Amino acid sequence: MADLEIRGLTVEADGTEILRGVDLDLNQGQTIALMGPNGSGKSTLAYAIAGHPAYEVTGGTMTWKGTELNELTPDERARLGVFLAMQYPVEVPGVSLTNFLRTAVNAVREEDVPVREFMQSLRAEMAELDVDDSFLQRSVNEGFSGGEKKRFEILQAALLRPQLAVLDETDSGLDVDALKTVAQGVNRLSGPDLGVLIITHYTRILRYITPDEVHVMFEGRIVASGGPELADELEAGGYEGIRAAHAAGV
Amino acid sequence: MTTLTTLSEAALTGASDAAGEPTWLRDRRLAAYKRTLDLAWPDSRVDEFWRSTPFAQRIDVERDIVTTGGSDSPASFTADLDLEVATARIVDGALVEVTVPSALVAQGVVVTDLSTAAAEHADLVEPALGSLTSSDTEGTGAGADRTITVNDAAWTAGVFIHVPAEVEVDAPIVMQIHAATGGAHLPRVLAVLGHHARASLYLEHTSEPDTDALVDEVVEVTAHDAAILDVVSFQRWGDHVDHLALQKVQAHRDSQVRHLSVTVGGRTVRLLPETDLVGPGAETRPLGLYFADDGQWFDLQPYVRHLAPRATSNVLFKGALQGRSRTVFRGNVFVHKDAVGTDTDENNRSLILTEGARADATPFLEIECSDIVAGHGSATGQIDALQLYYLTSRGITRDEALRLIVTGFFREVFADVDLPGVEDAAMSEIDARVAAADLASFQINDASLKDHHDE
Ligand SMILES: Nc1ncnc2c1ncn2[C@@H]1O[C@H](COP(=O)(O)OP(=O)(O)OP(=O)(O)O)[C@@H](O)[C@H]1O
Ligand SMILES: [Mg+2]
Repeated sequence: MADLEIRGLTVEADGTEILRGVDLDLNQGQTIALMGPNGSGKSTLAYAIAGHPAYEVTGGTMTWKGTELNELTPDERARLGVFLAMQYPVEVPGVSLTNFLRTAVNAVREEDVPVREFMQSLRAEMAELDVDDSFLQRSVNEGFSGGEKKRFEILQAALLRPQLAVLDETDSGLDVDALKTVAQGVNRLSGPDLGVLIITHYTRILRYITPDEVHVMFEGRIVASGGPELADELEAGGYEGIRAAHAAGV
Repeated sequence: MTTLTTLSEAALTGASDAAGEPTWLRDRRLAAYKRTLDLAWPDSRVDEFWRSTPFAQRIDVERDIVTTGGSDSPASFTADLDLEVATARIVDGALVEVTVPSALVAQGVVVTDLSTAAAEHADLVEPALGSLTSSDTEGTGAGADRTITVNDAAWTAGVFIHVPAEVEVDAPIVMQIHAATGGAHLPRVLAVLGHHARASLYLEHTSEPDTDALVDEVVEVTAHDAAILDVVSFQRWGDHVDHLALQKVQAHRDSQVRHLSVTVGGRTVRLLPETDLVGPGAETRPLGLYFADDGQWFDLQPYVRHLAPRATSNVLFKGALQGRSRTVFRGNVFVHKDAVGTDTDENNRSLILTEGARADATPFLEIECSDIVAGHGSATGQIDALQLYYLTSRGITRDEALRLIVTGFFREVFADVDLPGVEDAAMSEIDARVAAADLASFQINDASLKDHHDE
């Protein structure tokens, strides 16, 4: 049994069925890329894994090391090691980045990490990700540029040390240098204990982070799977082939 | 015993003489008393500025005026700060203690009993006392209301503060006003900052948990040219205190005034932080935060009068409500026809935490001059589901996330406030209220969950 095992998952948002039976396996130590056209349901899958309240699981199963995720609240999932780097991170006015991260780290580690130790690791990770010290007192995501938000998502992952990291278009909106910094950040987290599900439209991030498998989502289902070469084919030929096959009912 | 409705010339004369007040002050009290005879108590059905608080239902004026004094009162929140603060302590209608660090005395700073000051510093006190309350010039709003006139006539515990020209006081000047005995309390504060002076005045209002009292307070402050003034008013009353307060500042040329109110306690609090911008280039920043719980009624009426050119005002009040509580924000800005180049903005934000609470907001702008920049806004909302989700998705429990969001909501008020101890003291009041709240009953607004991004 895979560490993350998704079977026949169906998900609705606002009364509309979006995922129509998704199967996916992911193990710790493994990196999987999920691609697919806009609106195919990639973020929906990511949110379903991370317990977003707007996405209702209507059928199927989704287990992490044997535990059914759908029965857990979002914070319980996070404490189990699930992390979602969001496509659109949320602004939380008045909550400082430092206060937020410290509260989250204490919650996930289920212990009160001494302030000194926490600040040390925070500053170290910030330096690695090229995040300026002036962010420490800023409110979570408030007024951050698109790229800064993405970088901050990875900073959170670095501090929370998840076992399953779902990265939803973390590469979008990043300039070339930032992309490299962020990719290196992800690679530093990688290891035998981390499973990565990376959702992307572009192969450029896959040059830094090599996926073991590539899956393609279309209209709420995974319709194609392969190795890293599949990503290159899609980049060259687009989703036309998949659309055509689907229209022909293959 | 005298109540607010049975004042008499004889009683006022007797009290004034006993306090050693000069004749001019006694005469002024008697003149104010005569005015009260011509005035009815406010009628919320007809008085514009009382629409927002039902006077007859909530305010009981038939109470004995408390003058007994007392010794005990809670420690000031500034006690934990490593600062040499000047303190004036009013307990049960009497000024019981004044401490002024010798360094301040040497600089000529005065903090003393108002009756004594009326005799000893008549040159300063006589022109200032009552000059901001009894006026009835245009746009003065609450000026002539009986709740204020009655204080003009019968105030019992008075503090006078003088910061001479060009003297800068770093540590706050703290006034603790404590009610232990039930009845009517009539505190009075008069402060004068000379030109280029700088000072922070903290007013800390407290009571015993079961004290049933009406506190009818008047604070008048004059900030002369280029003075820098902060007034901070903490309302930490118990559940049975009704507090009516006029805290009015006159701001002269290029002075910078900030008023910060923190209202968490009290059964009824009707607070009027007012600024008359009488000199060109003067600035005022009325800030407020409040947390209203079951049974509480807060009526917050910042009032700014732009009476001179190129003055600036920027009002920001933020409140959270739960239980059957009620808050009213009535922000008034008046711009005189000569006040060209005025820049004014007022904003109010309310966070409704549970069902049954009600927040009303009415920003009023009365503008006689067209050459100005004016803005205002208000919004009432609930905790945002998407913010809550984001925090919990990082392992933070729902309860902890709610606390972060509610305290975060208030932080904006302190964006450019750097006053010793104030933010911590205010936020710990808010924290305590959120910690005691029934977080399970908080209403969450999930509208934000639906605005997914379609690209
Ligand atoms: N909260 C929601 N309410 C209603 N419909 C939604 C909601 N979230 C997503 N949808 C719809 O579900 C479909 C899939 O959306 P999703 O965000 O999962 O796509 P995606 O594959 O991540 O697309 P993109 O590549 O643009 O990020 C879209 O048609 C979208 O409009
Ligand atoms: Mg998406």
